[in-house]
Amino acid sequence: MPNSAPELHRRLKKIKEQPATPGTLLSFTTIHNPPHGFGSEPYSVGLIQLEDGSRVHAQLTHDGYIPTIGAHVVPRLRRIRTLENGLFVNGYKYEVVETAPEVKLHIQQYVLALTGPSGVGKTTITRMLTSLMSSYADQVPIYTTRQPKKNEVEPYTYVTKQEFDRMIESKKMIAYTHMESNSEERYYGYCRDDIEKIWKSGRLPLVVTDIHLLKGLSESLGRRAILSCGLLPPGKSRRRMISNLLHRLRIRGRDTEAQIQERLKVATYDLDAFDAHPHLFDHLVVNDKLEACVEHIGALAVRPA
Amino acid sequence: MREQVFVLGGAQTSFGELWNKSLVDLIDEAVAGAIESSGILPTDIDAVVIGNMVGGELSGQGHLGALVSGGLPHHPPALRVEAACASGGVAVHTACALLESGKAENVLVIGAEKLTDAPNDLVTSAIMNAGNSDRDTVAGLTFPGIFGLIANRYMYDYGLTRDDLSSVSAAHHEAAVKNPYAQFKKSIPRDVISKSAPVADPLRLLDCSPISDGAAAIILSTNPSDVQISASQVATDHVSLADRTSMTSFLSTRTAFQNALKEAGWNRNDIDCMELHDCFSIAAILHLEDMGFAEEGQGVRFYKNNQTHANGELPINMSGGLKACGHPIGATGVKQILDCYKQLTNRAPNQVPNCRRALAHNIGGIGATCAIHLLEHA
Repeated sequence: MPNSAPELHRRLKKIKEQPATPGTLLSFTTIHNPPHGFGSEPYSVGLIQLEDGSRVHAQLTHDGYIPTIGAHVVPRLRRIRTLENGLFVNGYKYEVVETAPEVKLHIQQYVLALTGPSGVGKTTITRMLTSLMSSYADQVPIYTTRQPKKNEVEPYTYVTKQEFDRMIESKKMIAYTHMESNSEERYYGYCRDDIEKIWKSGRLPLVVTDIHLLKGLSESLGRRAILSCGLLPPGKSRRRMISNLLHRLRIRGRDTEAQIQERLKVATYDLDAFDAHPHLFDHLVVNDKLEACVEHIGALAVRPA
Repeated sequence: MREQVFVLGGAQTSFGELWNKSLVDLIDEAVAGAIESSGILPTDIDAVVIGNMVGGELSGQGHLGALVSGGLPHHPPALRVEAACASGGVAVHTACALLESGKAENVLVIGAEKLTDAPNDLVTSAIMNAGNSDRDTVAGLTFPGIFGLIANRYMYDYGLTRDDLSSVSAAHHEAAVKNPYAQFKKSIPRDVISKSAPVADPLRLLDCSPISDGAAAIILSTNPSDVQISASQVATDHVSLADRTSMTSFLSTRTAFQNALKEAGWNRNDIDCMELHDCFSIAAILHLEDMGFAEEGQGVRFYKNNQTHANGELPINMSGGLKACGHPIGATGVKQILDCYKQLTNRAPNQVPNCRRALAHNIGGIGATCAIHLLEHA
């Protein structure tokens, strides 16, 4: 009978006889609805390829490391659970001690691009994505001619207009866009070297673009090198989308009303871009729930290209 | 087949949460319906085979063979077979063997299960008996958990997307709308499936077949009828995934299906419709690949391209399958035969036009048992 005293005794004897071997993770899952006797909290279980050639199912512990297929795991003798009659069930849990190197291979040679109107949440999503994917993604630095602002979160590199033009002439800069506003004329651009540097380190470059930057990147790197996600504000009609953007821009409180109106004009143009250039987008993602949206984009990015 | 075996008729109860009915009530309802539809007398039944998995654990009722037989006036010989979720399919296989050997002329085959009386964690534990208690159960794995491991690996190996995976359940729900016996007569769009509650990553609630009550019964006979069973095959594999070499292919399905095609002398392309064991969305994809309808990694194609409906390239689960019609474990394999019978006699609510040949694919556990039946219009 399962979990009777003699059964537990036999199992403990077996555990003592077998040498504990480390292994690699073949697959893993999180059990959200545990069976009877395993409590009500979710836990992770993996199928592990042990170094002695056998395979085993076991619970995973992972302080700090996220389990990935191919991750290195080592056995730890742990109490799996306590039975209603007070007996302990002991066994091996496997601790994830190193993330899989293979993941990097899948993400080489492509760029994750996020495009969307002002106020849709590009910056927030990028920030959450870079922390979610911190082990394998980097945001590509943006060159801009505008003046630095306080508390800037984007990785801007500030250059003069002359320097910017030189970078375009020398073909270092592969994509750029310019935004006219009443106050100043601003240019933004990306350089090939930065992207290649990230590729060389086996990581995934992440860019935030508008339609001009996206076009430029797609022409110079090749359309297939870009995993392009368009971000849409929630709302069933265009009017609702714009009104949602307006609301977000206002509660963000970063701009004056005049600037907001200006941004909104650009946003309308950006929304049109989705319809005008459907071939430039692999996925359109609606940012209605931030976490779900980030999770969604993260999942799109790490699947084998 | 050593002897020609025919389906005389059959019946099923509605599938779902049937709190007013006990295991015995369900069996009685299906048996009465089957006898009536087949036009034989109860006393014509020479043997009874019943497929059931957790009657002992959840209803406190074993010895089901004699229990059913006791309800017939002449108490014919009876036996219960168990092969986890393939109990129904293996019951049909057993009945075929009795008919082929000449032990019987008419066999009553029943599949029945009562699951919804017990709390969910107990049901989960009881179903987990289909795994290997030493290798799987000790780790706290559940069936959704094991298929979660498979789905995670499959997505990693073949780049299957969440949205594509959701097309499987969406198609089965769409088919169930017309089936009066289905547990969920409701179409559900892909994005709702993708956003349903997580059960065992990457599988979500609407990737999983439900916990259901229900029973189905059929009468098999050596006397001719419109529908013949042309092949009945069962194959097995290691119970635990940890003892196998592949995580994304079931050997039992491959073996049973190949043997069945050989037995019937069919080609794969002869099949007009199929009832497929979609206990989890990912499973349906694996099965299509294992039976050679799609290349490795391409199984989702039929669902993604919307080709599984009655007029599609490959009609799958016109009943709604396990996902939408419901999955009373032992009943499923018998219900599949009944659905094929309805298709072949032009009586299905979701009728495939000119359906002459049908396939019933039923697995137990993580495909440790696979029962394949090929049926054709005689």
